[in-house]
Amino acid sequence: MKKRGKIKVAFFDFTGCEGCQLNKLNLENQLLDILEHVDIVEFREAMDDKAEFYDIAFVEGSISTPECVNRINDIRRRSKVLVAIGACATNGGINSLKNIHDIDEVRETVYREHKYLFPTLPAMPLHAIVKVDYKIYGCPMTQEEFLKVFKSLVMGKKPQQPDYAVCVECKLKENECLLQRGIFCLGPVTRAGCGARCPSFGQSCIGCRGFVSNINQNASIEVLKRYGYSVEEAVKRMNMFNVTEMKM
Amino acid sequence: MDKKKLSLVQFKRVRLNEKQLRNFTGFLKTKGRVYAPHRKGEKSFSFQEVDDPSKVVFNYPRTILPLKKFFQPPIETLLEFTINDNSYELPDIDNKNKIFFGVHSYDMQGVLRLDYVFSRGEPEYNYLKRRENSTFIGISFEPDEYHFSGSVGIDVENTEGFSIFIDIVDEDNYVVFACDNTGEELLKEYGIKDFESGEYKLKEREFKAKLKYHYGRLPQIFEKCYNYDVWKKVSERCLGCGNCNLVCPTCYCFDVEDDVDLKIEMGSRTRRWDSCMLNEFAMVAGGENFRKELYQRTRHRLHRKFKYITDHYGYPFCVGCGRCSQYCPADINMVEVVNDLIKEHEEREKVYV
Ligand code: SF4
Ligand code: SF4
Ligand code: SF4
Ligand code: SF4
Repeated sequence: MKKRGKIKVAFFDFTGCEGCQLNKLNLENQLLDILEHVDIVEFREAMDDKAEFYDIAFVEGSISTPECVNRINDIRRRSKVLVAIGACATNGGINSLKNIHDIDEVRETVYREHKYLFPTLPAMPLHAIVKVDYKIYGCPMTQEEFLKVFKSLVMGKKPQQPDYAVCVECKLKENECLLQRGIFCLGPVTRAGCGARCPSFGQSCIGCRGFVSNINQNASIEVLKRYGYSVEEAVKRMNMFNVTEMKM
Repeated sequence: MDKKKLSLVQFKRVRLNEKQLRNFTGFLKTKGRVYAPHRKGEKSFSFQEVDDPSKVVFNYPRTILPLKKFFQPPIETLLEFTINDNSYELPDIDNKNKIFFGVHSYDMQGVLRLDYVFSRGEPEYNYLKRRENSTFIGISFEPDEYHFSGSVGIDVENTEGFSIFIDIVDEDNYVVFACDNTGEELLKEYGIKDFESGEYKLKEREFKAKLKYHYGRLPQIFEKCYNYDVWKKVSERCLGCGNCNLVCPTCYCFDVEDDVDLKIEMGSRTRRWDSCMLNEFAMVAGGENFRKELYQRTRHRLHRKFKYITDHYGYPFCVGCGRCSQYCPADINMVEVVNDLIKEHEEREKVYV
């Protein structure tokens, strides 16, 4: 535990829907306890102050313009620990779907004749540009996981985060497996931590928390094929939240 | 008929119809908490506490999770601590009377195998405490395409561990055997006065899935198979999701985690099931991973079932329940993997002899 002064914490956002930011503001009940340990020095959603230096910077959203690149480099320089929060920041998230199209086509579709006013890049996770110390996954990230990582950082220890499949949490709850009912589910390759929320309500996991590391991608496509999807369809399903992690 | 099937004959028995058997289940509730298979979702079953005996399922292929969930819960609090004064408290472990109704022979063997590992060396207090005061009532089943307990020496009618065993003749015909004094007492208290004895003809039950060799010959194969091709072939299809471990009645690995409250004053230590098929299972401090590759993990899992513990226990640490195969998203089948190993073994021996 840090004794000398309070820890300076800042929040930043890049390309994303700001769902993760809002999810933090919803932490009303816990916020007072958090503030005992930290000073929040920058948080666009909630305040206007600026600071020169941060002990922890929480960054949401993906990098998608040259301007983002400069800004994230600047934030990195001023932060001791940088934490990527939410799918957009950790693996590019849904934004990266644009990467599978021609970038000019994308600009054309969005900005029409004004496209030259808006330079754009393929959507990238933060770690494509700067060193990221920790990641909080999910679309949106969950409050539980945010608090867990937050507490570990305040205590100065490495957060314990799952790098196993959603199936693990699903089995711990003894849910009826969707596969058993002939419905495919991305749980076997998706990173746990959500408590298998969707399968617990009988919904397939759509992979919003990104892949577990080192997934066997060919095997996953084979499995989707077994459930009647074509290769294109299988890739499409896996792409939804995971374009930047696909190896094809 | 082999020896084990004959052994049922030595027990007193009584015939009950469906209604009587449900009544008996209801009566058991006066003796402790009763757990029995219930429907779970559309196609699955699960051991749940009996509330309404009419909801108990007598005839089912297998439950999602085995009985281990009662003795080694999926997530359990090991202790609660206070940071300021460095003190801690242990939670109360529930060891009240429990009756497990409708257990299949392979699942009973699963419990007996866990008893073995948890009572050796440093005895596992929480497990053994929860395991106290448990009574088991077995029931027969029709082997489906995944069951292969016959191949690891466990017949459908294996009564080891049971106080009562129920043979399902048909939907309204159950033959209930009193396998020990506890069982006999329970039946008497329920109101059974006359027991039958003597000749009892069992239905012939065939296992559709079979290992090619008698389990006694498997150690010979596992002695030599470390570098066989089968491991890599299987793992090309494997997702490393861990489903196979989590549902297995003889897997007991766990991970321990500490969590503190936001004020950083109090906290708790919990443990949850882990699985050797998962990425990080063999990772140690510093980030070194001893079984980085999937094929190494598959190989470890099977050695763990058929070699490592078998070497001192004598029997495979797989009870042939078929859960790992049924719940594998990649359709990797335990029987096929072992039979492929046997095949590769035969081929290699042929070449080198
Ligand atoms: S429902 Fe999905 S997440 Fe749950 S066990 Fe089945 S495949 Fe895994
Ligand atoms: S189950 Fe899958 S889609 Fe649902 S919250 Fe978890 S990771 Fe996201
Ligand atoms: S359940 Fe199947 S795919 Fe998943 S780890 Fe086990 S063998 Fe591999
Ligand atoms: S290895 Fe598979 S078949 Fe054997 S006991 Fe475990 S889950 Fe059942």
